[in-house]
Amino acid sequence: MTEATEIKNEAKPLPRVSPATDILEREDGFYVYMDIPGVRREDLKIDINENELLVTGRANQGASDKETFLEVQFGPGEYVRAVALSDLVDREGIKANLKDGVLMIHLPRMEKAAPRRIPIQTA
Amino acid sequence: MVLDFNTLYTFPGRFERLFEDFFKPQFAEGRRMAYPPLNVSEDEVAYYVRSELPGLPLDALELTLTDKSLVIKGERPTEQGKYYRQERPAGFFQRVVALNVPVDRDAVKASLVDGVLTVTLPKCAECIPRKISIDVG
Repeated sequence: MTEATEIKNEAKPLPRVSPATDILEREDGFYVYMDIPGVRREDLKIDINENELLVTGRANQGASDKETFLEVQFGPGEYVRAVALSDLVDREGIKANLKDGVLMIHLPRMEKAAPRRIPIQTA
Repeated sequence: MVLDFNTLYTFPGRFERLFEDFFKPQFAEGRRMAYPPLNVSEDEVAYYVRSELPGLPLDALELTLTDKSLVIKGERPTEQGKYYRQERPAGFFQRVVALNVPVDRDAVKASLVDGVLTVTLPKCAECIPRKISIDVG
């Protein structure tokens, strides 16, 4: 994104929309699906912040300025959604994939720490 | 919004967020009436029908152009797994856009980019307004 468009985008704040989200569990961990139609890969940000995963994306409408609208049921917006991460999630192994307007985040389960015995020292 | 496994987590700003969500209506009034949401627009050369259809490949959609209408049909699949939260709609959907205007039926195009479907219905050449010059005899 060039600097000029960034300034333009900042000048006009977009409505914030919370995207529809599915959270489900499978054998290999947790999966988060978010519907973010209209968001390109370069306009999407995923931040991990302690125990929160924050997704922000900007959806632009592919319409040109010359068009006049007869019916409007969705518009450009900024998708913002936070998902809390549990301690079970392996933070290093988180993967995200954007396809056809659906963001899939895979949160793998942490490998179970092997049980170990704590040696007791005598003074 | 929250994957809760125990109650020991601190959620900074969670309470504020609750208020924020409550006082700000997420969708405009017409938005939740029908699925999928549609935008209809026109410019000089064509009509455009746009729709938010995330998670669907173009071949899973059925677009039918009849005499008087454009029908968008399809099915959104569900994922397999144990659901903790399900907000994304699933299942069959259909929307009918009545076309009360003549369009160039052979040149209708559809594209699906990032989950947004765009159907371009070009206006037929005869119905674009033209200036007629009048010769003064």
